[in-house]
Amino acid sequence: MEIASPPSLFDLLELPVFRTASLEIALLAIAGGLLGAWIVLRRLAFFAHAAGTATFPGLVVAEAAGVSPRLAALVVGLGFAGGVERAGGRSRLTDATTALALVAALGIGIVLASDVFESGAVVDRLLFGTAIGLGSADVAFSAVAAALAAAGTVALGRAWTATGFDPGASTALGLPTRQADSVLLVLVALAAVASLPAVGALLVAALFVTPAATARLFARGVSGLLAGSVAVAAALGAAGLYASFWLDLPPGPAVAVLGGVAYALCAVVTAVRPRTPLRAQEAA
Amino acid sequence: MDVLDLLLDPLRSGIDRRALAEVALLGVVCGGLSFWVVGYRLAYPAESLAHGLLPGLVLASLAGAPLVLGALGGVAVAAALVALAARDERIDADTATAVVVTGMFGLGALLALAPETPARLGELLFGDPLGVTDADLVAAGALVVVGGLALAALHRPLAATAFDRVGARSLGIAPERVQLALLLLLSVALAVAVTGLGSLLVLAVLVAPAVAVRRHASSPPAAMAAGAGLAVVAGAIGIYASHHLGSAAGASVALSLVLAAALGTLGWPPRPVAAARRYRAGGLATPPRRPPSPGL
Amino acid sequence: MTAAPVVLARGAALGYGGAPVLEDLDFAVPAGASVGVLGPNGGGKTTLFAGLVGALAPTAGELEVQGRPAYVAQTDRTRLDFPVSALDVALMGSLASGRWWLPASRADRRAASLSLERVGLGSESGTRFGELSGGQRQRVLIARALVQDARVLLLDEPLAGVDPASAEGIEDLFSALRDEGRTLLVSTHDVQSARVFDLVLCLNRRQVAFGPPAETLGRGILEATYGSEIVVLDGGDGPVRAVTVQHHDH
Repeated sequence: MEIASPPSLFDLLELPVFRTASLEIALLAIAGGLLGAWIVLRRLAFFAHAAGTATFPGLVVAEAAGVSPRLAALVVGLGFAGGVERAGGRSRLTDATTALALVAALGIGIVLASDVFESGAVVDRLLFGTAIGLGSADVAFSAVAAALAAAGTVALGRAWTATGFDPGASTALGLPTRQADSVLLVLVALAAVASLPAVGALLVAALFVTPAATARLFARGVSGLLAGSVAVAAALGAAGLYASFWLDLPPGPAVAVLGGVAYALCAVVTAVRPRTPLRAQEAA
Repeated sequence: MDVLDLLLDPLRSGIDRRALAEVALLGVVCGGLSFWVVGYRLAYPAESLAHGLLPGLVLASLAGAPLVLGALGGVAVAAALVALAARDERIDADTATAVVVTGMFGLGALLALAPETPARLGELLFGDPLGVTDADLVAAGALVVVGGLALAALHRPLAATAFDRVGARSLGIAPERVQLALLLLLSVALAVAVTGLGSLLVLAVLVAPAVAVRRHASSPPAAMAAGAGLAVVAGAIGIYASHHLGSAAGASVALSLVLAAALGTLGWPPRPVAAARRYRAGGLATPPRRPPSPGL
Repeated sequence: MTAAPVVLARGAALGYGGAPVLEDLDFAVPAGASVGVLGPNGGGKTTLFAGLVGALAPTAGELEVQGRPAYVAQTDRTRLDFPVSALDVALMGSLASGRWWLPASRADRRAASLSLERVGLGSESGTRFGELSGGQRQRVLIARALVQDARVLLLDEPLAGVDPASAEGIEDLFSALRDEGRTLLVSTHDVQSARVFDLVLCLNRRQVAFGPPAETLGRGILEATYGSEIVVLDGGDGPVRAVTVQHHDH
C-alpha cells in the first residue's frame, strides 16, 4: 500500500470540505470533551457507546427512505436514554439483555442494509463516519450539542458531581438529582447522535470517553478534568481528521486509534505519580 | 414450494450444509457455555473481547491465514490489554475497558478500510456462515470436544462458586481460578465462533441461549442442555431464513437467537404447571416465590 | 491437658487493601467450644469470617484454623435464583474431599441425603433452594457443612430473618453439632442469645473483648462494642440485659 506524502495544512484549508469537517470536529470536541468528563466521572462509558450503536438501524432506514438520519437517530437515541433512565431504578435490566438489545440493533440494521444498499460503503460510513460527507446541517446540530453541553455543565455540574460522590446525601441536600441525571443522559444521547456523521455509530466513545479518560490521568479537580478533556478531544480530533484526509480513512477509526495510543502513553508516563483525588468543590 | 422442499432445499446446497454444520457445532458448545457466561455476569467482558479481537481477524484476513488463528491472537492481546488497563486505580474498570476496546476496534477498522487492501470488513463484523472453511469446521469441532471436556470437569466448581462464592472457598475451591478458567474458555469460544458470526454479533450465541431458557432451568446441567438445544435450533432457523428470504446469514442466526431470548424473557412459553406441582408435593408452608428478577 | 486451639489469632489484623478494618485480634478457641461473635454492622464480624475462611490474608499477625472451616453465610449472600435443589447444595459439601473434576459419587449422594434428614429437610431434598424459607435455607447450608464434615463451622448471623419456630430448630442443631465435638463460631446481633455460648468475642473494628459471657457481657464492654447502637436495660453486676439497635444495610 503506498502512502501519499502528507499534505500541508494550508492546502487542506483551501478545501471547503476540510473547513466544514474541521468545524464539525471542533464542535464535537467541545461536546465530547465536556460531556466526556461527566461520562467518566459518572461511569456512563457503556451508555455513550450503546447510545451510538443503538441508532444503527434507524440510520439505515433513514438513509434508504431519504429522510434526515438525524431525526431517526434522535428518536432512537432519546428512546434509548429514556429506557435506560427508567430501568436505572431497578437492579439493572441485566447486562445480558442490554448487550443482546445492541446485538439485535446491529443485526436488524445489517439485514435491512443488505437488502437496500448495493455496496458496503454506505454501511461503512454509517458505522465509522466520514470526513468528506459532512454538511452544514451536521455542523449546526453539533453546535447545538456543544452549546447544550456547555450550558448543562454550568448549570448542573455541581449536581452531577455531588451525585457521583454520594447520591444519598445529594438528594437529602435537596439537589434535584433524579432530574439532573435524566438531563445528563439526554444530553449524552443527543451529543452522541450529533457525532454520528463524523465518527460513526460504533466509535462514539472515541470522542466521548477516551479523551476524558486520558485527561483524568492528569486532572486535578473537576474543572481541570473538563478543560483537559476538551483539549485532548480537540487534539485527537484534529490529528484524526488530518490523518483521515491524508490516508483516505474514515475519521472514527483514526481518532479511536490515536486516542488509544495517547491514553496508553499517558497512563505509562504518569504511572509513577500517586492518584490525585478530584476535589468535589471544584465543580464548574 | 411444499414443506418438504422448504426443509430439504438448504440441505441440497453444499454451502448451506456446511453453514448448518458450523452453526450446529457452535450452538452445542456455546449454548451450554452461555449458562455460565450469564451466571457469572460476563456479558460485558464477552462483548468487549469480541470487539477487541477485530485487529487479529483483519490481519489474518489480509494475510490469507485462517481467521480462527487471527481471532485467537486478537482475543489474547485484547484480554491482556484490558487486564492491564483495568489495573490502573485512577480509572474505573468499565471506562478503562471502553478505552481499550474502542482503540482496538478502531485499529481493526483502520486496517480493514485502508484503501488498496481487500476489505472484507462486512463479513468480519457481521459474520459469514456461508463462507465457512474447513479450518473453521475443524476448529468448531475441536471446540466441542475441548470445551465439552472442560465444562464437564469444571462443572462442580463452577456451580459451587456461582451459588456461594465464599462458601466455595471454604470447600477448597479458589473462586478466582474458577473465574479465570471460565474466561479462558469464553475467549477460545469467542475466537472460534467469531469466524462464523462476526465480531459484532457473536455475543448472541454466548448469551442468548441462557437468557431464553432460564425460566425453565431446574438445574445447571438441564439449563446447559436446554441452552445447547435451543442454540442449535435457533441457529438452524437462522440459516433456513437466510436461504429462503435472502437475508444476511450471520445476522439471521444472531437475530433468531435474540428472538428466542426475547421470548424467554417475556415469559413464553409459560410454566405455571411445574410450580403448582411442586407446591402440592413439597408441602411448603407458603406458596413458592418467583425467584427475584435480577437475572442469572 | 489442654488440646491445641482450633482457631487461633495472634496480633492479627485484616483489611481490604487500605487501612485495616479489623485489628488487635488475639484469641484462642478450644475444640468443641461455641463462640458468639458480637459487634455492630461494619464492625468486622464478616471480615473475621472472611479471614478465617482464607478469602483474606491477614495484613498483620497470624490467623489460623485447623482444617477447613465450613462457612454458613447469611442467605441473602447466596444466589436465590440459582437453579439448585436442596440436595444439590448439600452435595456441594463433598467438594471438600478434593477431586473437584469428578462428579459426585454414590457415597457422597448418600451422605448428602442423610445430612438433609438430620437437619429435618429430608422431604425437601428436591425443592429449589430459592423456594425454601429463610430457616430452611440455613438448615440446608448446615447440611452442606455436615457433608463437608467440617470440625469448625462459621455461621454468619444464622438466625437473622428466621421465624422463631425455625430458629429454635436451628438452635437445637447447634447443640447437636457441639455434642459431636464441633467448634462453632456464630456471629449474632442478639446480645441475649450470646449468653448461652461458651465464649464471646466482641468486635468493633478491633477486638474489644474475648472471654466467657460472665466476663464479657458487662455494661462497659457492650458499650465499647456497640457504641450508640446499644440500649442497656439493667444495671448491676454481671451480664446485663441489653438490646441492640440494628441498622440493616440493603
